[in-house]
Amino acid sequence: MEPVRYDDRQKIVRLSTEIVTARRKRNWRKYIYCGLLLFPLVAFIFGFFVIPMLYILYLSFIETKGETNAFYSIGNYVHFFTDSYYLHSLWLTIKISLYTVVVSLLLGYPVALTMAKCSPRVRGLLTLLVASPLLISIVVRNFGWYLLLLPNGTVHQLLISLGITTSPPKLLFSEIGVVIGLSNAYLPFMILSVATSLYNIDPSLEKAAAILGAGPLRSFWSVTLPLSLPGIVSGVVLVFSMSMSAYVTPALMGGANVPMLPVVAYDQIINLLRWTYGSAISYVLLGITLIMVTIFTRMMEKGRYREVFR
Amino acid sequence: MSILRRLRLLLAIISLIYILIPLVVTIPASLTSANYPSFPPKGFSLQWYTKLLERPEFVEAFWNSVKFAFLASLFSVLLGTLGALAIAKYDIPGKSYLVSLLTALLTVPQLVLGIALLIYFTPMLLAGTPTGFLIAHIIICVPYVVRFVLTGLSGFDYNLERAAAILGASPVVVFWKVTFPLIRPAVLSGALFSFLTSFDNVTVSLFMVSPEMRTLPLEIFSTMQDAYSPIVASVSSVVILISIVLILILEKIHGVGKLLGSAH
Repeated sequence: MEPVRYDDRQKIVRLSTEIVTARRKRNWRKYIYCGLLLFPLVAFIFGFFVIPMLYILYLSFIETKGETNAFYSIGNYVHFFTDSYYLHSLWLTIKISLYTVVVSLLLGYPVALTMAKCSPRVRGLLTLLVASPLLISIVVRNFGWYLLLLPNGTVHQLLISLGITTSPPKLLFSEIGVVIGLSNAYLPFMILSVATSLYNIDPSLEKAAAILGAGPLRSFWSVTLPLSLPGIVSGVVLVFSMSMSAYVTPALMGGANVPMLPVVAYDQIINLLRWTYGSAISYVLLGITLIMVTIFTRMMEKGRYREVFR
Repeated sequence: MSILRRLRLLLAIISLIYILIPLVVTIPASLTSANYPSFPPKGFSLQWYTKLLERPEFVEAFWNSVKFAFLASLFSVLLGTLGALAIAKYDIPGKSYLVSLLTALLTVPQLVLGIALLIYFTPMLLAGTPTGFLIAHIIICVPYVVRFVLTGLSGFDYNLERAAAILGASPVVVFWKVTFPLIRPAVLSGALFSFLTSFDNVTVSLFMVSPEMRTLPLEIFSTMQDAYSPIVASVSSVVILISIVLILILEKIHGVGKLLGSAH
């Protein structure tokens, strides 16, 4: 190989600097394009989501005494956790959300299992039937159940004619009504998440279980169910957190008899105009939901079947 | 067929009925001739539909719903599609933060979002205005659009764009002739999904309304709270029928199940 001559070396240096500047220019252009595309979205989300959320977090630490006297304190939170009315409301919210989770898991699992085991055409139809109600307004779905749960309505008649009870319990404007409304609303989420994890199960595992002598029940209990745990966990988390913060269904199906926390928060904000306290309730709701969901997920991920979460 | 399979099928049918029954009973209930809502309906008449047309607040609420849903879906598709294009294509610092911010937006309950926006809008004089209402609806729709378009772009081959550019197409032509046709299904389903999300919304809307600006679900909500009348059944039936048409279109474009799977 010939040694590189001096003027060639000059040329190489010039060319490479040109390439670098051209690249840099293109990079700059890239950033400008990207910024222009992204700016409206980012500005919108910051302006109308991040800042409002931070603003009410700030407000929740302001306590007002009288008309003009306002100061920083954690008084709103102290008030919440020392007043039995609010604690009872929080407990009621957690209790009803847990009932809703249990009902939707029990009702949802068989559907998800059927969806996983049927032909693709039937699966498509089932998915459409399960998912569509999510796109129809919650007030409409609540009204349907309202009609069925009316005193002496269809469900009452059914309970009496089946001989389950002679004097049916109060269904509407009670905790039962709220659980029915909520589980009806969020059942599709549970079904879709469980079904997704069931689709991912290798069918040869069940065959292997059968070959090793497990009956269908045993194979379900020790193969299918544990392997569907990730779907169950995400469904439970989704349904629980949505139930915790649902406002419309408790207001329509429970009314004043079931003062769940969202109903209380709405009342504080809209009717009593106690914004700082209402903001604190919002963050209590967010915090408690987050803590419970995190503990549950950690427990499942560290539990007996931790392998399936990897 | 084994007993276990039969049992599973029976349970599945029961829960399908549980999901669908509120929608199924509403339509016959709206045809009642009685003055109180009931199921099964008493007699047959269309009186609750003619009464519906005689109530100007329902007709106006219907047009309000359509108008706001249309505008909300238009703006969320614009913001969301542009943003998703940038997120998918460019490797920018802080991208993962932006994506988790969008997830947070989907996770924060609508009740809390409604409270935050009401308190934030009041000093800005946006509370109870059509602008405030629209902004709130865009905020709840836009993360879905971003998700759908990102999913639509996940297998996108950027060499196609480069090839078009090398062949002399300007960036605008590249977008309209190459990129957009490939993500059109995702954009369209984002638009329809946003329309339905906004059309159905109650929780956030409750914090944004003023007496002179109401939507159909809000009208149903307040009628149900004040006086139970079969008119709720006829409005609900109208909402159900409109939603079914839109859902079927959505199913044709993208598949409702797949869409909701990628949304949550």
